[in-house]
Amino acid sequence: MKKTLALLAASTALTAVIALPALSEIRHRDHEEGVLSSLFGDDGGRLRLWFVSDDDDDHGYSRKYRGGDDDDDDDDDDDDDDDYGRRGGGMNPAPAGTVAPPQNGLFGTGAAPKVKVN
Amino acid sequence: MKSLLATLALSTALTAPGLVSARPVTFATTLNNYGGDGAYLAYYVTDASGAYVGSLWMAGGKSKYYEHLSDWYRATGGNPAEINGITGASVGAGRSLEITLDLADALFDAGYTLHIDAAVEDMRDSPNEIAVPLTAEGAGTVTRGRRYIADFSYNY
Repeated sequence: MKKTLALLAASTALTAVIALPALSEIRHRDHEEGVLSSLFGDDGGRLRLWFVSDDDDDHGYSRKYRGGDDDDDDDDDDDDDDDYGRRGGGMNPAPAGTVAPPQNGLFGTGAAPKVKVN
Repeated sequence: MKSLLATLALSTALTAPGLVSARPVTFATTLNNYGGDGAYLAYYVTDASGAYVGSLWMAGGKSKYYEHLSDWYRATGGNPAEINGITGASVGAGRSLEITLDLADALFDAGYTLHIDAAVEDMRDSPNEIAVPLTAEGAGTVTRGRRYIADFSYNY
């Protein structure tokens, strides 16, 4: 417990030592000079910038599908075992043979649909 | 009294099926070899004024792609209830789909038109690729599509 408190105090002190002068510079500096000059000085000193990451993009995913669709990369819907589940949001319709056709006046009361793919 | 009831029951049994007279109708659709994924196809009917009446079949089971069947989608809002029980798999390029449905007789020779919207992932949408009047005369007539559908016909 004592060690933890000591570590906490040390890190707080370190942060204060680094941050407080910068904060006071920012407040007193002309706003147009910006934060960076407050931190690094306005003497034209070299700024060292590091490129961190741009991993918030979509990895170049093709958006050729019109309508701005946001479907997943791993979709595969050109076979006979379409996923009728509920993943990915939006209700999928019930497949033929599981429920009666819609009551839209177009269907008789007879046989279920028959499908043949060649 | 008993004989009257028996007669009534018999006449009802004979009459009831005729109230919704229907026939099996086969839709035959052949796709071109367009070199892409399986096609989604929406089969639906409009009346003489062009108003949407109802859907007959949906080839393709994932609702998130339905917006690409744009005319159908505009008419239905993509509501899955319109196609519950009449949905099957999408159809591959170069393949043929035959669907036999029990359809009301009243659909024929009454100004109704059958439409087919087609769409393929990463390719251009093709709304209303097929539009044919539902008539006795039109049965057996082959209609060519303009993009994904090589030909379509219906028979009964």
